[in-house]
Amino acid sequence: MSRYSPPAFACRLFQTVLPVSYRGALLGDLIEEYNLHAEATSPSAARRWFWGQACRSIPFIIGSSLRNGDWLISVSTAVGVYAVMGTLKLAADFMIAKLFAPEPTAFVVLAPIVFLAFTSIGGCAAARIRFGTAVFLALFVMITVAVQIIAKACTIPVPWWYEFGFLTLGPLSVLLTPAAFGVLKPNSNESAT
Amino acid sequence: MKQGELLGSLEHILLLALVRLDGSAHGMIVRREIEERTGRNISIGAIYATLERLEAKGYVSSSTGDPTPERGGRAKRMFRVEAAGNRALQISEQTLHSMTADLKGSWETI
Repeated sequence: MSRYSPPAFACRLFQTVLPVSYRGALLGDLIEEYNLHAEATSPSAARRWFWGQACRSIPFIIGSSLRNGDWLISVSTAVGVYAVMGTLKLAADFMIAKLFAPEPTAFVVLAPIVFLAFTSIGGCAAARIRFGTAVFLALFVMITVAVQIIAKACTIPVPWWYEFGFLTLGPLSVLLTPAAFGVLKPNSNESAT
Repeated sequence: MKQGELLGSLEHILLLALVRLDGSAHGMIVRREIEERTGRNISIGAIYATLERLEAKGYVSSSTGDPTPERGGRAKRMFRVEAAGNRALQISEQTLHSMTADLKGSWETI
Protein backbone atom coordinates (compact mmCIF):
# COMPACT_ATOMS: atom_id res chain seq x y z
CA MET A 1 0.00 0.00 0.00
CA SER A 2 1.02 3.66 -0.47
CA ARG A 3 2.37 5.20 2.73
CA TYR A 4 0.42 8.41 2.19
CA SER A 5 -3.03 8.72 0.65
CA PRO A 6 -3.36 11.23 -2.18
CA PRO A 7 -6.45 13.50 -2.22
CA ALA A 8 -9.25 11.10 -3.16
CA PHE A 9 -11.43 13.79 -4.70
CA ALA A 10 -8.59 15.07 -6.90
CA CYS A 11 -7.98 11.48 -8.06
CA ARG A 12 -11.64 11.00 -8.96
CA LEU A 13 -11.91 14.38 -10.65
CA PHE A 14 -8.80 13.60 -12.67
CA GLN A 15 -10.17 10.19 -13.64
CA THR A 16 -13.26 11.73 -15.23
CA VAL A 17 -11.12 13.39 -17.94
CA LEU A 18 -8.26 10.91 -18.36
CA PRO A 19 -8.32 8.71 -21.46
CA VAL A 20 -8.40 5.00 -20.65
CA SER A 21 -5.17 4.39 -22.62
CA TYR A 22 -2.97 5.97 -19.95
CA ARG A 23 -5.27 6.62 -17.02
CA GLY A 24 -3.78 3.95 -14.74
CA ALA A 25 -0.16 4.71 -15.65
CA LEU A 26 -0.55 8.48 -15.20
CA LEU A 27 -2.38 8.18 -11.87
CA GLY A 28 0.21 5.65 -10.71
CA ASP A 29 3.01 8.09 -11.59
CA LEU A 30 1.23 10.90 -9.75
CA ILE A 31 0.72 8.74 -6.64
CA GLU A 32 4.33 7.55 -6.72
CA GLU A 33 5.64 11.11 -6.94
CA TYR A 34 3.10 12.31 -4.38
CA ASN A 35 4.59 9.84 -1.87
CA LEU A 36 8.10 11.11 -2.61
CA HIS A 37 6.90 14.70 -2.09
CA ALA A 38 5.10 13.77 1.15
CA GLU A 39 8.28 12.17 2.51
CA ALA A 40 10.52 15.05 1.39
CA THR A 41 8.22 17.88 2.53
CA SER A 42 4.90 17.29 4.30
CA PRO A 43 1.60 15.60 3.42
CA SER A 44 -0.16 18.97 3.13
CA ALA A 45 2.51 20.34 0.75
CA ALA A 46 2.31 17.11 -1.23
CA ARG A 47 -1.50 17.45 -1.46
CA ARG A 48 -1.09 20.98 -2.83
CA TRP A 49 1.42 19.67 -5.35
CA PHE A 50 -0.98 16.86 -6.32
CA TRP A 51 -3.87 19.29 -6.87
CA GLY A 52 -1.59 21.59 -8.87
CA GLN A 53 -0.47 18.73 -11.10
CA ALA A 54 -4.05 17.52 -11.63
CA CYS A 55 -5.39 20.99 -12.51
CA ARG A 56 -2.46 21.88 -14.80
CA SER A 57 -2.69 18.53 -16.60
CA ILE A 58 -6.36 18.75 -17.59
CA PRO A 59 -5.95 21.23 -20.53
CA PHE A 60 -3.20 19.05 -22.06
CA ILE A 61 -5.29 15.89 -21.68
CA ILE A 62 -8.34 17.49 -23.28
CA GLY A 63 -6.15 18.91 -26.08
CA SER A 64 -4.60 15.50 -26.67
CA SER A 65 -8.03 13.88 -26.76
CA LEU A 66 -9.20 16.44 -29.35
CA ARG A 67 -6.16 15.80 -31.54
CA ASN A 68 -6.59 12.01 -31.36
CA GLY A 69 -10.13 12.18 -32.70
CA ASP A 70 -11.53 10.54 -29.53
CA TRP A 71 -13.66 13.63 -29.14
CA LEU A 72 -16.03 12.57 -31.94
CA ILE A 73 -17.17 9.50 -30.00
CA SER A 74 -17.25 11.48 -26.75
CA VAL A 75 -19.29 14.28 -28.36
CA SER A 76 -21.74 11.75 -29.85
CA THR A 77 -22.16 10.07 -26.46
CA ALA A 78 -22.60 13.46 -24.78
CA VAL A 79 -25.27 14.42 -27.35
CA GLY A 80 -27.14 11.20 -26.56
CA VAL A 81 -26.99 11.75 -22.78
CA TYR A 82 -27.91 15.43 -23.28
CA ALA A 83 -30.96 14.51 -25.39
CA VAL A 84 -32.25 11.96 -22.87
CA MET A 85 -31.64 14.15 -19.81
CA GLY A 86 -32.95 17.24 -21.61
CA THR A 87 -36.21 15.49 -22.52
CA LEU A 88 -36.71 14.25 -18.96
CA LYS A 89 -35.88 17.70 -17.59
CA LEU A 90 -38.41 19.34 -19.92
CA ALA A 91 -41.05 16.88 -18.70
CA ALA A 92 -40.15 17.66 -15.08
CA ASP A 93 -40.26 21.43 -15.75
CA PHE A 94 -43.67 21.03 -17.38
CA MET A 95 -45.02 19.12 -14.37
CA ILE A 96 -43.62 21.68 -11.92
CA ALA A 97 -45.09 24.54 -13.95
CA LYS A 98 -48.48 22.78 -13.95
CA LEU A 99 -48.39 22.04 -10.24
CA PHE A 100 -47.10 25.43 -9.12
CA ALA A 101 -48.55 27.64 -11.87
CA PRO A 102 -50.31 30.01 -9.48
CA GLU A 103 -47.18 30.40 -7.35
CA PRO A 104 -44.09 31.52 -9.36
CA THR A 105 -41.94 31.73 -6.22
CA ALA A 106 -42.22 27.97 -5.76
CA PHE A 107 -41.11 27.48 -9.36
CA VAL A 108 -38.10 29.77 -8.81
CA VAL A 109 -37.11 27.71 -5.76
CA LEU A 110 -37.72 24.30 -7.35
CA ALA A 111 -36.20 24.99 -10.78
CA PRO A 112 -32.52 25.06 -9.64
CA ILE A 113 -33.03 21.92 -7.52
CA VAL A 114 -34.46 20.00 -10.48
CA PHE A 115 -31.81 21.46 -12.80
CA LEU A 116 -28.92 20.42 -10.54
CA ALA A 117 -30.44 16.98 -9.99
CA PHE A 118 -30.60 16.40 -13.74
CA THR A 119 -27.13 17.79 -14.47
CA SER A 120 -25.69 15.62 -11.67
CA ILE A 121 -27.42 12.47 -12.94
CA GLY A 122 -26.43 13.33 -16.51
CA GLY A 123 -22.80 13.84 -15.43
CA CYS A 124 -22.78 10.46 -13.66
CA ALA A 125 -24.32 8.73 -16.68
CA ALA A 126 -21.84 10.37 -19.07
CA ALA A 127 -18.81 9.50 -16.92
CA ARG A 128 -20.07 5.95 -16.52
CA ILE A 129 -20.54 5.43 -20.28
CA ARG A 130 -17.29 6.93 -21.56
CA PHE A 131 -14.32 8.96 -20.31
CA GLY A 132 -14.28 12.57 -21.45
CA THR A 133 -18.01 12.61 -22.22
CA ALA A 134 -18.78 14.58 -19.04
CA VAL A 135 -16.55 17.43 -20.27
CA PHE A 136 -18.59 17.82 -23.46
CA LEU A 137 -21.86 17.43 -21.57
CA ALA A 138 -20.78 20.24 -19.22
CA LEU A 139 -20.03 22.37 -22.28
CA PHE A 140 -23.49 21.65 -23.78
CA VAL A 141 -25.17 22.57 -20.47
CA MET A 142 -23.21 25.83 -20.30
CA ILE A 143 -24.13 26.75 -23.90
CA THR A 144 -27.81 25.90 -23.33
CA VAL A 145 -28.01 28.03 -20.18
CA ALA A 146 -26.14 30.89 -21.86
CA VAL A 147 -28.54 30.83 -24.83
CA GLN A 148 -31.54 30.81 -22.46
CA ILE A 149 -30.13 33.78 -20.53
CA ILE A 150 -29.43 35.75 -23.72
CA ALA A 151 -32.87 34.88 -25.15
CA LYS A 152 -34.46 35.82 -21.78
CA ALA A 153 -36.30 32.50 -21.67
CA CYS A 154 -37.18 32.98 -17.99
CA THR A 155 -40.27 35.20 -17.85
CA ILE A 156 -40.23 35.44 -14.05
CA PRO A 157 -38.08 38.39 -12.82
CA VAL A 158 -35.01 36.98 -11.05
CA PRO A 159 -31.74 38.59 -9.85
CA TRP A 160 -28.60 38.24 -12.01
CA TRP A 161 -26.91 35.82 -9.57
CA TYR A 162 -29.81 33.39 -9.94
CA GLU A 163 -29.12 32.92 -13.65
CA PHE A 164 -25.36 33.07 -13.06
CA GLY A 165 -25.81 30.17 -10.63
CA PHE A 166 -27.32 28.04 -13.40
CA LEU A 167 -24.49 29.01 -15.74
CA THR A 168 -21.71 28.00 -13.32
CA LEU A 169 -23.18 25.33 -11.05
CA GLY A 170 -24.77 23.36 -13.89
CA PRO A 171 -21.51 22.52 -15.72
CA LEU A 172 -19.70 22.09 -12.39
CA SER A 173 -22.26 19.56 -11.15
CA VAL A 174 -21.84 17.60 -14.41
CA LEU A 175 -18.09 17.36 -13.80
CA LEU A 176 -17.89 17.15 -10.01
CA THR A 177 -20.74 14.80 -9.10
CA PRO A 178 -19.25 11.73 -10.82
CA ALA A 179 -15.90 12.61 -9.22
CA ALA A 180 -17.48 13.01 -5.77
CA PHE A 181 -19.30 9.70 -5.94
CA GLY A 182 -16.59 7.81 -7.82
CA VAL A 183 -18.95 6.94 -10.68
CA LEU A 184 -16.59 5.98 -13.48
CA LYS A 185 -16.35 3.45 -16.26
CA PRO A 186 -14.38 0.50 -14.82
CA ASN A 187 -10.94 -0.20 -16.29
CA SER A 188 -9.65 -3.76 -16.19
CA ASN A 189 -6.00 -2.62 -16.21
CA GLU A 190 -6.33 -0.71 -12.99
CA SER A 191 -7.18 -1.43 -9.40
CA ALA A 192 -8.47 1.03 -6.83
CA THR A 193 -6.20 3.33 -4.84
CA MET B 1 18.98 20.60 -46.72
CA LYS B 2 17.76 17.89 -44.34
CA GLN B 3 14.23 16.60 -44.81
CA GLY B 4 11.85 15.33 -42.14
CA GLU B 5 9.47 16.68 -39.56
CA LEU B 6 10.95 18.94 -36.92
CA LEU B 7 10.25 18.11 -33.31
CA GLY B 8 8.25 20.48 -31.12
CA SER B 9 10.15 21.91 -28.14
CA LEU B 10 8.53 19.61 -25.55
CA GLU B 11 8.85 16.61 -27.89
CA HIS B 12 12.52 17.42 -28.30
CA ILE B 13 13.10 17.77 -24.55
CA LEU B 14 11.17 14.55 -23.80
CA LEU B 15 13.13 12.51 -26.32
CA LEU B 16 16.40 13.91 -24.95
CA ALA B 17 15.29 13.03 -21.40
CA LEU B 18 14.51 9.46 -22.48
CA VAL B 19 17.92 9.17 -24.15
CA ARG B 20 19.56 10.46 -20.96
CA LEU B 21 17.63 7.83 -18.98
CA ASP B 22 19.24 5.01 -21.00
CA GLY B 23 16.51 5.17 -23.63
CA SER B 24 13.70 3.91 -21.42
CA ALA B 25 11.71 5.30 -18.47
CA HIS B 26 8.21 5.92 -17.17
CA GLY B 27 6.42 9.26 -17.10
CA MET B 28 7.27 10.30 -13.56
CA ILE B 29 11.02 9.71 -14.00
CA VAL B 30 10.97 11.65 -17.28
CA ARG B 31 9.11 14.53 -15.59
CA ARG B 32 11.62 14.66 -12.71
CA GLU B 33 14.61 14.42 -15.06
CA ILE B 34 13.35 17.44 -17.03
CA GLU B 35 12.60 19.38 -13.83
CA GLU B 36 16.04 18.66 -12.37
CA ARG B 37 17.90 19.60 -15.55
CA THR B 38 15.86 22.58 -16.77
CA GLY B 39 14.00 23.81 -13.69
CA ARG B 40 10.75 23.60 -15.67
CA ASN B 41 7.90 22.12 -13.65
CA ILE B 42 6.00 20.40 -16.45
CA SER B 43 2.68 18.77 -15.59
CA ILE B 44 2.40 15.01 -15.82
CA GLY B 45 -0.56 15.48 -18.18
CA ALA B 46 1.66 17.39 -20.63
CA ILE B 47 4.28 14.63 -20.39
CA TYR B 48 1.78 11.86 -21.18
CA ALA B 49 -0.01 13.82 -23.92
CA THR B 50 3.36 14.43 -25.61
CA LEU B 51 4.54 10.84 -25.13
CA GLU B 52 1.29 9.59 -26.72
CA ARG B 53 1.90 11.90 -29.68
CA LEU B 54 5.49 10.66 -30.01
CA GLU B 55 4.24 7.08 -29.86
CA ALA B 56 1.69 7.78 -32.61
CA LYS B 57 4.56 9.10 -34.76
CA GLY B 58 6.58 5.96 -34.08
CA TYR B 59 9.34 7.82 -32.23
CA VAL B 60 8.77 5.96 -28.96
CA SER B 61 7.13 2.69 -27.98
CA SER B 62 5.61 1.72 -24.65
CA SER B 63 5.08 -1.40 -22.59
CA THR B 64 3.14 -1.98 -19.37
CA GLY B 65 4.82 -3.35 -16.26
CA ASP B 66 3.35 -5.03 -13.20
CA PRO B 67 1.21 -3.09 -10.69
CA THR B 68 3.11 -2.02 -7.57
CA PRO B 69 1.78 -1.08 -4.08
CA GLU B 70 3.63 2.28 -3.94
CA ARG B 71 1.70 3.32 -7.06
CA GLY B 72 -1.67 2.49 -5.51
CA GLY B 73 -1.74 -0.84 -7.34
CA ARG B 74 -1.27 0.75 -10.76
CA ALA B 75 1.17 -0.46 -13.39
CA LYS B 76 4.04 1.57 -14.85
CA ARG B 77 4.03 2.38 -18.54
CA MET B 78 7.62 2.28 -19.75
CA PHE B 79 8.51 4.40 -22.78
CA ARG B 80 11.43 3.56 -25.04
CA VAL B 81 13.06 5.63 -27.80
CA GLU B 82 12.82 3.94 -31.19
CA ALA B 83 15.15 4.27 -34.19
CA ALA B 84 12.76 6.79 -35.80
CA GLY B 85 12.94 8.87 -32.61
CA ASN B 86 16.73 8.87 -32.72
CA ARG B 87 16.64 9.99 -36.36
CA ALA B 88 14.16 12.76 -35.52
CA LEU B 89 16.48 13.92 -32.73
CA GLN B 90 19.46 14.00 -35.10
CA ILE B 91 17.54 16.01 -37.70
CA SER B 92 16.31 18.50 -35.10
CA GLU B 93 19.76 18.86 -33.58
CA GLN B 94 21.36 19.41 -37.00
CA THR B 95 18.68 21.93 -37.96
CA LEU B 96 19.15 23.86 -34.73
CA HIS B 97 22.91 23.73 -35.14
CA SER B 98 22.66 25.04 -38.70
CA MET B 99 20.42 27.89 -37.64
CA THR B 100 22.48 28.92 -34.61
CA ALA B 101 25.92 28.56 -36.20
CA ASP B 102 27.87 31.86 -36.07
CA LEU B 103 25.01 33.50 -34.17
CA LYS B 104 26.39 33.04 -30.67
CA GLY B 105 25.44 36.07 -28.65
CA SER B 106 23.97 37.92 -31.64
CA TRP B 107 20.46 38.13 -30.18
CA GLU B 108 21.80 39.66 -26.99
CA THR B 109 22.66 42.83 -28.89
CA ILE B 110 19.20 43.12 -30.54
